[in-house]
Amino acid sequence: MVLTDIEFHEANTLEEASEWMGQYAPNARLMAGGTDVLVDLKTGRYSTSHVVSLNRIFALRGLTTTNGSLRIGALTTPNQLRASTVIWERFPAILDAVRDMAVPQIRNMATVGGNVAGAVPSGDMPPILIVLNASVILWSRSREREVPLEGFFVGPRQTVRRDDEILTEIRVPYPPPRFGAAYSRFALREANGCAVATVAASLRLDEKGIIRDARVCVGAVAPIPKLAQKAGAVLIGKPAGNAAFRQAAEEAQEISQPISDIRSSADYRRELIGVLTRRALDAARQRALGERP
Amino acid sequence: MIRTYTLAVNGYERAVAIAPGETLADVLRDKLNLTGTKKGCNLGDCGACTVLVDGEPMNSCLLLASQMEGKQITTIEGVAHNGELAPIQKAFVEEGAVQCGYCTPGMILSSVALLNRNPRPTVEEIKNGLAGNLCRCTGYTGIIRAVERCENYRDGGTCAKKEAPKAENSRFTSVSLPMPRVDSADKVTGRARFTADISLPNMAHGKILGSPIAHGRIKRIDISKAKALPGVLAVITGADVPDTQHGVSPARYDEYVLAKEKVLHEGDNVAAVAAVDERTAERALELIEVEYEELPVVLDAMEAIAEGAPQLHERYKRNINTVVDHSFGDVEKGFAEADFVREETFVGNNTHQAPLEPHASMAYWEYDGSVVLYTSTQAPHYVQYMLAHVLHIPLGKIRVIRPAVGGGFGCKAATSPLDLCSVILSKITGRPVRMVFSREQMIHYGRGRHKQHMKMKLGLDRNGKIKAFQSEIYLDGGAYTSFGVATSYYAGSMMPTLYHIPNYKYNGYRVMTNKPACGAFRGHGVPQPRFAFECLLNMMAEDIGIDPIEIRLRNAMTPNTRTVNDLDIKSCEFTATLQAAREKSGWSEKYGKLPKGKGIGIGSGGFVSGAGYAIYRGQVQLSHEKPVEHFVKKPIFPHANAIVKVNEDGMAVIVLIGAAEIGQGGDTVMVQVAAEALGIPPSRIRVRTEDSDISPIDLGAYSSRVTLMGGNAVKNAALAVVEKMKPYAAALLGCQESQVAVGDAQMFVSGDKTRSVAWEEVARKYFNDCGPLVGTGCYKPPQGLGGDYKGATVGTSPAYSFGSSVCEVAVDLETGKVKVEKFTDFHDCGTPINPQMVHGQVEGAMVMGASETVMEEVQFDKSGHITNPNLHGYLIMTIKDAPEVFSGIVDSYEPEGPFGAKEIGEGCTCTVLGAVAHAIANATGVWVKDLPITPEKILKAIHAKQAVPEMVSTATDD
Repeated sequence: MVLTDIEFHEANTLEEASEWMGQYAPNARLMAGGTDVLVDLKTGRYSTSHVVSLNRIFALRGLTTTNGSLRIGALTTPNQLRASTVIWERFPAILDAVRDMAVPQIRNMATVGGNVAGAVPSGDMPPILIVLNASVILWSRSREREVPLEGFFVGPRQTVRRDDEILTEIRVPYPPPRFGAAYSRFALREANGCAVATVAASLRLDEKGIIRDARVCVGAVAPIPKLAQKAGAVLIGKPAGNAAFRQAAEEAQEISQPISDIRSSADYRRELIGVLTRRALDAARQRALGERP
Repeated sequence: MIRTYTLAVNGYERAVAIAPGETLADVLRDKLNLTGTKKGCNLGDCGACTVLVDGEPMNSCLLLASQMEGKQITTIEGVAHNGELAPIQKAFVEEGAVQCGYCTPGMILSSVALLNRNPRPTVEEIKNGLAGNLCRCTGYTGIIRAVERCENYRDGGTCAKKEAPKAENSRFTSVSLPMPRVDSADKVTGRARFTADISLPNMAHGKILGSPIAHGRIKRIDISKAKALPGVLAVITGADVPDTQHGVSPARYDEYVLAKEKVLHEGDNVAAVAAVDERTAERALELIEVEYEELPVVLDAMEAIAEGAPQLHERYKRNINTVVDHSFGDVEKGFAEADFVREETFVGNNTHQAPLEPHASMAYWEYDGSVVLYTSTQAPHYVQYMLAHVLHIPLGKIRVIRPAVGGGFGCKAATSPLDLCSVILSKITGRPVRMVFSREQMIHYGRGRHKQHMKMKLGLDRNGKIKAFQSEIYLDGGAYTSFGVATSYYAGSMMPTLYHIPNYKYNGYRVMTNKPACGAFRGHGVPQPRFAFECLLNMMAEDIGIDPIEIRLRNAMTPNTRTVNDLDIKSCEFTATLQAAREKSGWSEKYGKLPKGKGIGIGSGGFVSGAGYAIYRGQVQLSHEKPVEHFVKKPIFPHANAIVKVNEDGMAVIVLIGAAEIGQGGDTVMVQVAAEALGIPPSRIRVRTEDSDISPIDLGAYSSRVTLMGGNAVKNAALAVVEKMKPYAAALLGCQESQVAVGDAQMFVSGDKTRSVAWEEVARKYFNDCGPLVGTGCYKPPQGLGGDYKGATVGTSPAYSFGSSVCEVAVDLETGKVKVEKFTDFHDCGTPINPQMVHGQVEGAMVMGASETVMEEVQFDKSGHITNPNLHGYLIMTIKDAPEVFSGIVDSYEPEGPFGAKEIGEGCTCTVLGAVAHAIANATGVWVKDLPITPEKILKAIHAKQAVPEMVSTATDD
């Protein structure tokens, strides 16, 4: 559709944004970086009469650290994450996801909040944030609520967020000792390749190298980024190694519900999930043992 | 609500009236006239619109201008200061990082951001920094060189310093000189004007409405609502356009300007509008109501020829559009004599050229009833010819201006619907009308590579010598003929040019399907059959235990040979390319000795240096009323024509020739050829190729003809100038005319350079006595090219190129993912006019060919709807995917070429597909015979082999 036929509203505060959304919903869309919303509008994926931009709400930008967790403002860009010492030192797995996401220009424009709230099944941020036990803060005038990310997604481009709610922040707890996470992604080209299948994994080991906690999340192979509960469960109590990882990989494949599309067939996606799960788990193990950054 | 915003662009604040939904790209281009910011896709996929916002690269097509207040915006126009190129711009110019120039502004801005952050990036860091900028011409190789050279950028270091280039061949001064392109300074600064960058007073904007369905009858069109929309100037449908059909091959004109009754593919042209601005035109399209009766679609060539399949055109029974039946020698006997015979089936892919610049046209009518058309075309003369044909006006009343063209690769070789509609709409509205395709429309318009279904059979004797070769090919042509007749012939005729094939049979069938028409794509018809042949040859070499390079050497074409299908090969250094590629790549140390997952492969190829005959028969047409003339086996008119005009002071020379510069470097070739012939430096020469009112006809940039044919015309015109100057020089020097020689901007007594006079002095003397010093020259291909059978003309050429590529890959055997790591290519392009540009063509072709082989395909759903009509669905290699390329040129001299030169641009594409496929087979132990060779297909073949090794020989083989 013609973008100039849409009414754009520049919110300076959350209150303003919420008010406009309340006034114009369901005929309104929230926009942050615009890299998805503007493309969707230009290509006619959906139409809308109003767009409420959050871009001027500067409080939503940047990272803050508190005692127990890292708070990522919804308008933080992927490249800002990449430039952050905290991310490099404490959350290297997030870099896995950010590094290969889209292209430099888009990483300067897109936002982490948009990548999460947009709920595109192949989105790169959700799987890794889920295995890091992240939650999102949904703000509305009446209340603020915290939703664990694994329970945030409902379907493709659908979440539990209500129209008057704004995703303001992502909270990621600091990892405990002997914890490691990693993200494996498969795309058909090296840059600007939409993910065909992705797997994020995290492990917490005890002193003897036995897995005490494990999370595996698959992406791009189901309507939502999906926590593979059984894959996590089979790992617990086992030594972190290939035998256990293979079992987890089978469980991750089991939970996948891939579709066939222009990028690949469902069968191939399922096969990839097996490979990617093993690779993500192995990288997570190495991080838990301090063998890789 | 439109409001005034203050934008800080390139250090200056500008107040601009902006509607909140306007993108920064549009505001920069349309309101601030900063057209260096290009729009290649409008969806954030290509990076051509990259600008810096507070120093960071962003896609301006996805930024709202209304959100840019308070930010510092840098566009390409802000990179050079006071007319002085920035170091990175100089490096782009000198390293050959620029070809068509459409990606260049964005590429430079991403480089600036990278170098500001990281003054000494590694190659890896350069690739990461430029990952969001697609380039289709350079293969990224020159770009990486340029950025690498700027490692001291920040300290004002060595970036800009490079030694002046020197001729690589001691016989010449300006030929074999790796000088920077003559248009590169314009392209690195954003000054180069592409068609969509040009605005005229009172200009209107046009748009075309495409069909949403792939096959249907138009029952009703209601344009009343669109017409009533304020700002709409004209709406036209099939009823408003001539009944004359057009196309490319005169025998099969089958396209209407706008659909008359039926639509034959998604995006087929249904209506067009002109309005006061682009947005109004877009809204008007949405208001046109079309009712279709949907017809069953047929999308597969093999299904389309079946009895009872849906028919596209009445005239093509069973949808068969072209049939080729060629047989030379005695294949039956050849196969009987062969010791080894193998037959395999291969399938190609429907790929799109995807140049970075979308097609654009702008037309207006003059007071005298003539029409002026600006268009991004490869073949201005054929556009002129087709406009004359469709609109029933004399050719001389049509002026075609070809501004800078952002790449074509064949998809801009035919007359586009934008050309025709802008001319018609400008007539109706009385205004200039500009029209630009969206990326989606480009893919809907199509003209990409035919998907070829190829059954090939090869017979070899025990020494690996070819005894017989037979191919049967079904070409999936899409909905119209376009170039398809020629494509069908090329798919067969070029096969015997590379190897000695004593017995050859080819049956070709071009079949219509409800998909966009296919056309001529770099290597026109040849790359897929060449891929199949090279694969089959490699399979058999491995079957019988002969090294794949050795088997090529045993069969390699030799100079001065007439092929079995009557093509005359003159210069041929194919053997040298094989030997050089073998040595340089370390083939003998690698082939058969690499670890699993690593592979090396060889592919060879070559192409014509210009088609021997023009696309239309007879003489230059006066109007549509002239009947089609009978074919005669000689060129009726010269294919390339040039005027060389010396300025009155003798200090400048203007070369006039209509040879289209589309990014390949034609203009620079013309300058260098003229300089060599005139004996003056290239810096004194300017070239005007863009305007048919100024420059005489050249047939265009297709069939790799510009260097050889255009070059010869320019050389002849320049020599004519020298001849006119000789009597004056002889008088000044006190010698015989026959003793006068030229060189180094002097005219001198041959053998005694101390007796000389300045070139310009002689030119001035001439002007004083005779007026304008002008030479004309032309080039006609040799008479009688080709045999006497039907279709013998396709494949004829004054000269042929040859090349060999060794490819190295790494394959992830768990996912099937291929990393094409390296090419080592050697080419026989005759004596290169500009070696740097030759390498640029090779580097670009390697990457484009590799990209086609492993990732490209236009995809359709069951209803004929294209599911990837954009640059995030239709994948082309990014800088991070691109392999390293070594390009070498073997010594060669083509007597028919200007100063020994022949083609490079298309021949080097033909080697690639087979080389990549072989390397993948070498790495994995399985052959994938249908393109593209995706990770999924590779993995499937690996599994199939593991499961039942003996049963998979039809799908895979070692």
